Amino acid sequence: MTESVRLAPDHRLSRLRRPALVVGVVGAAALLLGFAVSREHFFQAYLVAYLFWLGIALGCLAVLMIQHITGGMWGAAVRRLLESATRTLPLLALLFLPLTFGLGDLYEWARPEAVAHDPILQYKQLYLNVPFFLARAVFYFAVWLVVARLLNRWSLAQDADDDPAIAIRMENLSRGGLVLYGLTMTFAAVDWGMSLDPHWFSTIYGVIFMGGQVLSAFVFVIVVAALLVDHPPLDGVFTADRFHDLGKFMLGFVMLWAYFALSQFLIIWAANSPEEIPWYLRRMQGGWQYLGGALLILHFVLPFIVLLSRDVKRRADTIAAVASVVIVARFLDLFWMLRPASAVYLSMHWLDVAAVIGIGGIWMWAFVGQLAERSLLPLHDPALVIER
Amino acid sequence: MSEPGKHTGPAGPTRAPVIQPGHTFGSVTDRISSVVLSERMPRLWWLGLGVGFLLVTVLLVAVTHLFMKGTGIWGVNVPVGWGFAIICFVWWVGIGHAGTLISAILLLLNQDWRTSINRFAEAMTLFAVACAGLYPILHLGRPWLAYWLFPYPNTMGMWPQFRSPLIWDVFAVSTYASVSAMFWYVGLIPDLATLRDRSPSRAGRVIYGMLAMGWRGSARHWHRYETAYLLLAALAAPLVVSVHTVVSFDFAVSVVPGWHATIFPPYFVAGAIFSGFAMVLTLAIPLRVMFGLEDFVTMRHLDNMARVMLATGLVVAYGYMTETFMAWYSANPFETYMIMNRFGGPYSVAYWSLIFCNVLMPQLLWFRRVRANVPLLFVISIVVNIGMWLERYVIVVTSLHRDFLPSSWGMYSGTIWDWATFAGTIGLFLSLLFLFIRFLPMISIFEMRTLVPEAEVREESP
Repeated sequence: MTESVRLAPDHRLSRLRRPALVVGVVGAAALLLGFAVSREHFFQAYLVAYLFWLGIALGCLAVLMIQHITGGMWGAAVRRLLESATRTLPLLALLFLPLTFGLGDLYEWARPEAVAHDPILQYKQLYLNVPFFLARAVFYFAVWLVVARLLNRWSLAQDADDDPAIAIRMENLSRGGLVLYGLTMTFAAVDWGMSLDPHWFSTIYGVIFMGGQVLSAFVFVIVVAALLVDHPPLDGVFTADRFHDLGKFMLGFVMLWAYFALSQFLIIWAANSPEEIPWYLRRMQGGWQYLGGALLILHFVLPFIVLLSRDVKRRADTIAAVASVVIVARFLDLFWMLRPASAVYLSMHWLDVAAVIGIGGIWMWAFVGQLAERSLLPLHDPALVIER
Repeated sequence: MSEPGKHTGPAGPTRAPVIQPGHTFGSVTDRISSVVLSERMPRLWWLGLGVGFLLVTVLLVAVTHLFMKGTGIWGVNVPVGWGFAIICFVWWVGIGHAGTLISAILLLLNQDWRTSINRFAEAMTLFAVACAGLYPILHLGRPWLAYWLFPYPNTMGMWPQFRSPLIWDVFAVSTYASVSAMFWYVGLIPDLATLRDRSPSRAGRVIYGMLAMGWRGSARHWHRYETAYLLLAALAAPLVVSVHTVVSFDFAVSVVPGWHATIFPPYFVAGAIFSGFAMVLTLAIPLRVMFGLEDFVTMRHLDNMARVMLATGLVVAYGYMTETFMAWYSANPFETYMIMNRFGGPYSVAYWSLIFCNVLMPQLLWFRRVRANVPLLFVISIVVNIGMWLERYVIVVTSLHRDFLPSSWGMYSGTIWDWATFAGTIGLFLSLLFLFIRFLPMISIFEMRTLVPEAEVREESP
């Protein structure tokens, strides 16, 4: 069994908390200003930034459940980081509320005058209507909050009590929880992302979202773990072997992202049908093609080649550098998927930057706060071994 | 609290070991090699080989008749131009995937439970790919011109259409077959040397000796061997995904409702692993009893394989669900019609049977008690095999038989020759498998030795 380790108040991660809050508050003020100046840009920027940060938290929830099922040292080592991220979900549920005021600005199907002239949107009204959309969102958050809450509560109970039944209970919940995550996230991706282009459809869309979220979670955890290596006794937990494990997962999910993205592109390109290809045509002109090319490099080619090296994966500073690039690529990927729905030409409005930094500041503040709440290592996880 | 050790997971104390206690280097080697070196085989082995050989003769008759008459003896016609040949091709290729997953990916993930099942799972892969490879060639109509599929400079000025996934199939499947064969053979080398050293007959010593390629088991041999094996595993790992992805492209790049779906690549790969693990269970459960190998293929293996089946089965169910939802959401009348036709059309029995086999039945695997019930597990694995065949039947036939124009509608069913060819490939598979068991160790001897307590190296010893 391990001893309780609290995040030191003078550690650089703790010291990050106040600046993060300041950035968050300034960002929020900027967002309010932006709302007054350009309502349309505000909602579009907010949606992309929100889904980026929500993706990290939900990805952490998924990885947390995966590690409860598979076991293994890598999972035990980063469990508290994952759990802290999932405890930000109540905050994220709160941050979803502004979006509910902009459904008409964001989604064509939510504008009655647009629906009146569009037989396809009339057909889809059964699913794409405001009350049902909101009810589904409530349901998704209810599922995520309950699963995250139970896993966190039992994890705390495990700290106090070394009863092996608790581990089994967490494992069992994770099995069902993972199924629920797959179902809810698929429909959430359709609701929040795919329906921005209400005529377009792709069956792999939810899978692309989930693969991206899990990748986001791994890169985020790698960066935080790299910040914690100088925090004794975590240097005995976040060893070269752990970074090697996490790096392999990152490489795997980088490849999986490329696989999903290529599958969707190749199938739609080959069929070239008028109901599907416009989605790609839009993203292959007006400057968006350069962002697409940058994604190919930053989200796949570069991390793939660099991560083949064993040494890069085993050193905290190098793996964290690669992970930082991929975090940026994750945001650009969402930006490229979602933003062209309302922008024919590639441009980054100042609100796009303000939104991702503003929400990010508040989220980081909450995350570090949650991380400091509990021991940085689970106390009775049988898989955890500290090397000295 | 459970004892920390490398074989214990979160639920460690309650799980069966990967090898029964009490074994030593010697007992492992004796037990596994005795199957090959013994004079007599159990009666069930003769029965299995006999049934397999009988069906191979059926295959020979069916193929001879096909060569004499042409593909008209099969049920394929307009509008269903793809029938049993593609259904069985996809089914067999899919089955092969479990072998590669077990041998390559689980090796890279340090899963020690793969050790006792990887050898015959890899053999199963090879034999399944051999059966699969027959179908496209037989379906060519002029199979003697099969080499036209390869891009080679020729006086006819012909060149394959590189935008067609059918040509990608040629490369994907042939790469898969050659890498799998190489991986399997390299994995056999130390065991072939063991057989060379133990074989009582001169012929055995000479043949196994040549196949062992001079293996002496020196430290340098082992060092290079381990490196080569890991490199091969890394090469083989992407093949688990790539082959069935290309197979799914055969359908998905078209504009046929029910085929053209972006979810197809991951959903086909999951289906392949699902059916492959079902087949490994179907084979492993009788074999471990037949040759008394319960010490090596333990309840832990059956439990883990059942878990993989459940997980991949859920992904397959997810594929069915998204297909159905998106058919409605697309607002495309042809897509909606395709799903309604599957639900209530002339092939609805096949559709609902596949839902029963692939979605409902595997849900039993959530229960630990079911995973520990060997006869029930055997039944579920066979049901899944049938379900995955039906899935391909439904995908191929229901999408084609109702063409865009009602004047081009038609019905399809396999003829006696379709069924004879299918039964024949099952016979080929069984014959190859039973011959493999007779002449080569079906469990990796040298890898099993690493699981014995003797193999644990203690750091404090000098």
